[in-house]
Amino acid sequence: MLPNFLIGLREGLEAALVVGILVAYLVKTGRRDLLPQLWAGVTLAVVGSLAFGALLTFGPRGLTFEAQEAIGGTLSIVAVGLITWMIFWMGKTARHLKTDLHGKLDEAVAAGRWAVLVMAVLAVGREGLETALFLWAGAQATGQTAEPLVGALLGILVAVALGWAVYKGAVRLDLRVFFAWTGLALIVIAAGVLSYGVHDLQEAGILPGLHHLAFDVSAQVPPSSWYGTLLKGTVNFSPATTWLEAIAWTAYIVPVLTVYIRTVWSGSPRTATASTPAQAPAAATDAPTTGGTP
Amino acid sequence: MSPTTLRPARPLALTAAALATVLALAACTDNSAPESSADGSGPSTLTVTSTADECTVSAPEAPSGNVVFSVTNAGDDVTEFYLLAEDGLRIVSEVENIGPGLTRDLVLTAKPGSYVTACKPGMVGDGIRSDFTVTDSGTDVAPTGALADQITAATTNYVAYVKDQTEQLLTGTQDFVDAYTSGDDDTARALYASTRVHWERIEPVAESFGDLDPRMDLREADLEEGQEWTGWHLLEKDLWQPTAEANGGTEYVALTPEQRTQYADQLLADTTELNDRVHTADFAEGIDAASIGNGAKGLLDEVATGKVTGEEEIWSHTDLWDFQANVDGAKVAYDGLRDVVLAQDADLAEDLDTQFAEIQTLLDAQRSGDGFVLYTDLTPAQVKELADSVNALGEPLSRLTAAVVL
Repeated sequence: MLPNFLIGLREGLEAALVVGILVAYLVKTGRRDLLPQLWAGVTLAVVGSLAFGALLTFGPRGLTFEAQEAIGGTLSIVAVGLITWMIFWMGKTARHLKTDLHGKLDEAVAAGRWAVLVMAVLAVGREGLETALFLWAGAQATGQTAEPLVGALLGILVAVALGWAVYKGAVRLDLRVFFAWTGLALIVIAAGVLSYGVHDLQEAGILPGLHHLAFDVSAQVPPSSWYGTLLKGTVNFSPATTWLEAIAWTAYIVPVLTVYIRTVWSGSPRTATASTPAQAPAAATDAPTTGGTP
Repeated sequence: MSPTTLRPARPLALTAAALATVLALAACTDNSAPESSADGSGPSTLTVTSTADECTVSAPEAPSGNVVFSVTNAGDDVTEFYLLAEDGLRIVSEVENIGPGLTRDLVLTAKPGSYVTACKPGMVGDGIRSDFTVTDSGTDVAPTGALADQITAATTNYVAYVKDQTEQLLTGTQDFVDAYTSGDDDTARALYASTRVHWERIEPVAESFGDLDPRMDLREADLEEGQEWTGWHLLEKDLWQPTAEANGGTEYVALTPEQRTQYADQLLADTTELNDRVHTADFAEGIDAASIGNGAKGLLDEVATGKVTGEEEIWSHTDLWDFQANVDGAKVAYDGLRDVVLAQDADLAEDLDTQFAEIQTLLDAQRSGDGFVLYTDLTPAQVKELADSVNALGEPLSRLTAAVVL
């Protein structure tokens, strides 16, 4: 029961956190009208994953392993591009909130309307296929025992509850603190997603270096333990990390965090607004391009 | 809804572009999904039971084609199942997140070959491994369509070919050396050309070992000042002893039994060394499409500069054996890459097919018994015909590497 519960928790946690932050963002910026888009994206991803998983489980064809990993890896890297863009978009919006409150905000949100949907699809769909395959296998096994299925569903429910808790905590924050911390959280999550995507592509044989480990702490942090599960689900920590993953993680988090802290998270928002008006948009437009070409 | 929603915005375009990339990639990988067996023979299904300390696969082998591993987790921890390539490193296919009490299927289209299966209870470590063989069922395993895969297959096969030829060279050399050192010159002469074909088929590879090649295959005419002459052609001269006239005016002095043993032992030791080197992992890693393509061209150059002129086997005159062996080696190299050439440059493939056939027809005309007529029996017209044919093949062959290395 517990191992299956942890699988559900691990697969659901990251998606729940990202969705939780997205919801909190829309609520705090008074864009509740965009919530249907968000939930549509989530629903699309869930239904799509379940349908695809059912097709692969019961249909006449399976997806090759390489294809599965290549899709998973590419989606991850696209997701990183979108999340990065989202982070800076939020930062920009935060500044607009202080200056000309509604003028440019609408424009940004208008562009983001679809991004919100796509991001919800990616955040949920990325882990969705794997989870769906697991759930269908569990459903097939229910003739013998429903325990695995119940365990996994409980795990997903706890993940959703944690996402909801993050949302509740986030909406209570003051707006500037909200942007600062959620942006930070998203950067750490995105870096994890990127390194996970790199790992997928390594497993598919598209990128080299699967067996060149930077470190291996599997003995200290077993991937099937509850803390291993939490680390994996929140920041995509892999106890056996390859050099390429470590390099990708570092190469992402160092510049992004630097730019982010300088533009958004600096102590005085007024100086940040005055001195670096062009930086965030520039970074924002760059991000999806680089993310989209793995 | 604000009216600005209708305005095209750059992030939207970028998002669309990103999505298009995903869709394109998804579609393209989907092509490689295994075909359901069209001939009515269903996939072979094997069961795998994974526990904390065991990984039981129901059979150690399966026929090539669609194979299903139905993996049941009978342990208490989450497990994973991997099918790894023969090297135990490359993942051929895997299924992760198999919770306790669950069965998940790993479906793949398997090619004949050796593999390793591994269960990874707790998702850590190298897993519990065992060997697994996919036998050749004769089912046409559809190519994945990826050129990279074909090139990988070509290099793997070529490395296997080189290993096989050096093994045969070693066995043949052993017999040759035994006959030669025991003074059975007739047997040694009979074995000479047929043993050397294994060397000549892989000559560019052997030549890549700069220290071994001169020790084993140097011709007297190419000796440099102060260089000691050893190897095949020294023994050739001793087996087909020239007259004083043919030997540049000086009487040929036969090797003493001690010298015979010394040079024969060295040839055998060098051949053993060559065989050892091509069986190392480093050697296999150094072989790629470019080296195979260049090697094929190198073999034809050998023919043009040595065999077609009769210089290679100046005492035994068995040049046509070497000629055929060089062509064989080039043909094997080309055949391995032929699918790739066909995809990249169909005209080139057609040209090469024609020229290889032509040169073979000419060579077949000179067959005699198990081998060939002696070089000295060829008329000048026949030599010219062979030389022209070598040049005609050499030209398209020089474009082989460029065609396969994009």
